[in-house]
Amino acid sequence: MKDPPDITIVTGASGWLGQALLAALTDPADPYGRAGEIRALATSKPEGDVLGRSPGVVPVVGDVRTRAGLRDLFDGLTGSVDVIHAAGVIHPGTVSDFVEINTRGTQNVAAAARAAGVRRLVHVSSNSPFGVNPHPTDRFRNDEPYHPYMGYGRSKMLAELRLLDEVGKGLDAVIVRPPWFYGPHQPARQTTFFTLVRTGKFPIVGDGTQRRSMVYVDNLVQGVVLAELAEAPPGRAWWIADERPYEMNEIVATVKSALANAGLDVTDRQLRLPGVVGRMAQAADSIVQRSGRYVTQLHVLGEMDKTIACDIAVAEAELGYQPAVELGEGMRRSIVWCLDQGIAL
Amino acid sequence: MSSRADVLVIGSGAGGAPTAALLAEAGYEVLVVEEGDMVRQGDAVPFSLDQMDRQYRSGGVTAAIGRPSIAYTEACCAGGGTEINSGLYRRPPEDVIDRWRTEHDIADFDTAEIYAICDEVEAELSVQPIPGTATGASEALKRGAERLGWSHDEIPRWMTYSSTDVASGRRRSMTETYLPRAVGAGARIETGTRVDRLVVSDGRATSALLSDRQGRATTVRFNEVIVCGGAIQTPALLQRSGLRHRIGRSLAVHPTVKLTARFGDELNVPDDVPVHQVKEFAPDLSFGGSASSPGLLALALSDHWKLFGSAIEDWRNLATYYAAITSEGRGRVMALPGLRDPLVTYRLTRRDRALLGRGLARLALVMLEAGATEVYPAYRDAPIVRGRRDLAAMQGTFGVGKASMMTVHLCSTVPMGRRPKVSATDSHGLVNGTRNVRVNDASLLPDAPGVNPQASVMAVAIRNARRFIERSGS
Amino acid sequence: MVAFPLARLIAEFSDQVIATDLPALPSARRADVVAFTGRRIAGLPSPMKIGVGVVATIVGGLGRVVGLRRLTGLLARRPIPVFGDYVRLVRSLSYAYVWETWPSTAPDGSPVD
Repeated sequence: MKDPPDITIVTGASGWLGQALLAALTDPADPYGRAGEIRALATSKPEGDVLGRSPGVVPVVGDVRTRAGLRDLFDGLTGSVDVIHAAGVIHPGTVSDFVEINTRGTQNVAAAARAAGVRRLVHVSSNSPFGVNPHPTDRFRNDEPYHPYMGYGRSKMLAELRLLDEVGKGLDAVIVRPPWFYGPHQPARQTTFFTLVRTGKFPIVGDGTQRRSMVYVDNLVQGVVLAELAEAPPGRAWWIADERPYEMNEIVATVKSALANAGLDVTDRQLRLPGVVGRMAQAADSIVQRSGRYVTQLHVLGEMDKTIACDIAVAEAELGYQPAVELGEGMRRSIVWCLDQGIAL
Repeated sequence: MSSRADVLVIGSGAGGAPTAALLAEAGYEVLVVEEGDMVRQGDAVPFSLDQMDRQYRSGGVTAAIGRPSIAYTEACCAGGGTEINSGLYRRPPEDVIDRWRTEHDIADFDTAEIYAICDEVEAELSVQPIPGTATGASEALKRGAERLGWSHDEIPRWMTYSSTDVASGRRRSMTETYLPRAVGAGARIETGTRVDRLVVSDGRATSALLSDRQGRATTVRFNEVIVCGGAIQTPALLQRSGLRHRIGRSLAVHPTVKLTARFGDELNVPDDVPVHQVKEFAPDLSFGGSASSPGLLALALSDHWKLFGSAIEDWRNLATYYAAITSEGRGRVMALPGLRDPLVTYRLTRRDRALLGRGLARLALVMLEAGATEVYPAYRDAPIVRGRRDLAAMQGTFGVGKASMMTVHLCSTVPMGRRPKVSATDSHGLVNGTRNVRVNDASLLPDAPGVNPQASVMAVAIRNARRFIERSGS
Repeated sequence: MVAFPLARLIAEFSDQVIATDLPALPSARRADVVAFTGRRIAGLPSPMKIGVGVVATIVGGLGRVVGLRRLTGLLARRPIPVFGDYVRLVRSLSYAYVWETWPSTAPDGSPVD
C-alpha cells in the first residue's frame, strides 16, 4: 500500500459519498484520516463555504462540465496528488445532464488529471453500466460485459470508457463500482424511502426474492481508499459492496425492524405489487427517457423487480477489502443519523 | 412374419446398448431393434453432412417448434447419440443426483452406487483427458477464461488414442463397446427396423409391430420390453401404443446460442471439438466449443451474412463457441395420428431468455480476452464485436427470437420417480399402469442435468438394468 | 389457385433464395444445392414437413402473383414470422452444403482459386 498523498482532490465532495469521504479523510482519529490538503470541488461559493468548515479542506469553485471549469482545481499542485472523482448525477432534471456531468465531466477530470501528472485517480462508477442479473442467484463477476441500464447506465459506461482512453494515454486510474448506497449523509430520496417502508407503502414488486447488492457508505469509503492506495495496475476495476446481496423482502424487513427499534411507529401492512408492474414501469421509463425527460419514481419502480447483485471476491483478494458493516447495523446507524439531524421519518 | 424374444430392447444408444449387454450377459434372450443403420466409427467424417445423412434423424434437420424454434439433433443409427456426439464425459453432479432423489422421490437412488457405476463406465469406455496439447480453439477458450479469472476445466472424453496425437483418437461409442458385448453374450440386433407400435392390453405389452425400410411389416412377441429410443422417440412410441399418462410433457433441454470468433492465427480443426469448458456460472450457464468445419462456420455466420460473410474465406482462423443454459422452460413431444414423426415444441421462460443474452455476452467477453480480433454473434443483424464497447451494442440488440438456437441434449420426457403429477414411471423405469413396459434412456432423467448427459443416462440405465435382473431372477 | 407439386415449389424458392444470397455461385453448383436442400426438406419430420408445405404453397402462390424474385428478396431481408423460418431453413441448408462441399468459396458464392 502506498502512503497517502500530499494533496487529495475530491469531486462530488458535497454528495452522499463525498461527505462521508471527507469526514473520514479529515478526522485524525479515523483509520483513513490523513494530513495534507483535501482540495474539494464545489459548484458554488456557498457550497464551498460549507465544505471549508472542515479542517484541512480547501474548497475550489468549479464545474466538471468544462475544461475551463477545472482549471483552478488542478492549479498549483505540489507533491504527490491523488484524485477521487465522485461527482455525478443519478436522478437528474433532464436526461442531457447524464452526458454533461457523468460522461463529459469524467472525461474532463481524467484529462485534467493526466495533464497535471497525478499519482492516481479513483473513479466512482456504478452497477448501472452492467444492467441487471438474469436471475436472482446470478452474480456480476469482477469483469462483465457492458449492458447499460438506460440513460444513467449509458453515461456511466461511457464515462468508464473515456477514463480508460486516458489510461491508455498514461493516466493511472482505477474504477470502483458501488451498488445502491445507504448510510449517514443520505439525501432526501432516502428519507422518503424510510418513510414509505415505515408506512408499508414501499412496494415489494413480485415475490420479493430478487436480490440487491447494497453498500454502506463507510464500507464504500474503505473501498475507495484501498483502491487509491493499492499497488494495482491502471485500468483495474472492483465491485465495492456489502458482503452479500440482500433479498428485497429482507431489506424491507430489516429497515422496518431498525425503525421500530429506534422507537418509531412501524405498520405491519406491506404493499405488494405483481412483477409485471416493475416491467411496465421499466418500459415507461425507457420511453420517458428517450424523450429527454426523467421521472425518478418511474425509474426507481422500474428497477424494483430486478436483481442487481455483485460478487466482491476480487476486491477482497486484491485490495484486502473487508466490509465492516452489514444491513442491520448500517440501517440502524442511518436512522440514528437522521434522527440526530432532526429529519422526520 | 413374426418372431419371439425374452426381452425386446428398442433402441441401441446410451441406454439401450448397456441394457442389452447386461441382460444378455445375465442369460436373457435379448432382441435389440434399432431404427437406424450400423455405421462403424471412422466410416463417416464426424460432423459432416454425410454423417448427418447416415446417422442423424432427418438428415440432422429437426427442431422443437416455439417462439423461437430450437433446432436439435437426434441420432438414428446403431449406438445412437454416442456415435455422433462430441464424446465429452461428465458425471452427474452430486447436487443434481440429490435433487432428483428428493424432488422426484426416487427410491433406492444412492449417490455412492451411481458413482460406482460411473467408475465402471469410465473404465469400459476408457474415459480420459486428451494426450498432448489441445486444439488452438480449445486453448483459446481456456486462455480467455484464465484472463478473466473464471473457472474452467478440461473435460475427459471416452476415446482411445494410439499415439500422443489428439487426431489419433478413436471414440469408444456403443458400437465399439456395449453392443459387441451384447452380441457376444448372445443378443440379436436388427437394424433398419422401426417399432411402429406396442400392443398393450390391460397393462401388459405382448408384442411389437415393426416395419423395415421397405415397409415390410413383422411382429415380435416378448415377455418384457424396454424402450430406449431417446427422449423424443420413446414418448412418441409409448403414445402411439396408447400409453399417454404424463408422457411427453416435460421435455428438458440445454438451449444454446453461439458465436464465431476470429483470431490472428490458424486454430481450426474441422472434425473435432474443444475439450475445455468454462464452468464459472455453472449450473445455469456453461461455455464450450462447437464443431467448426467450413460448412458449420458458414451456418454460424449466416445470421448476418452481409456483415459476417467475408470472414468465411479465413475459415482456418475461425472457431465457433456456444453458451448453454439450464432451462426453466419445458417442451412437449406429441405423437400425432397418421403422422410418422411426433410434433416437438418448447417454450423458454423470461429467465431463460435473459440468461441466454447475458451468457452470449459473457462468452463474447471470454473470446475478446482470448485475443479474438472479431466476434460474430449468431443472431439476426448482430454487430461485429471488436471490443468491450461493442458488447453493449450486442446486449442491446440481442433477442432469442433473432438467434439461431439449438440444443444437442434432450431429456425428461418420461420422468422416473414417485412425484405426484409428474413421474411417468416408477423409481426404476417401469411405466405407470403397465406390468412389463420399461423405459431406460434419457427420457427417465427428471430434468436436464446441466452437463453433458451421456454419463447420467448410462449410469441410470445400468442401475435399472441390474435391478431388473435382480428382481426377476434369471 | 392451381396446385403445383410441392417439391417443385420448394426447388423454385430455394433457387431464388440462393440466387439472391449467393449471386456469384455458378449455376451448376446452385442446382446441386437446390437438389440437396430439396432432399433434406423431403426428409423432414412429418409435422415440420407439413408446416413447410403450407408455407411453401403460400409463397409459391404469392410468388406467381407478385414475382418470386421480388417476394424472395423481401422475405430474405425482412424477418416475417413463420415465413422467416422457411427462409432460414433454406438458407442454413444451402450455406452448410456450399461450404462443406466447396470450402474455397467466396462470400458471394464465387469459387476461389
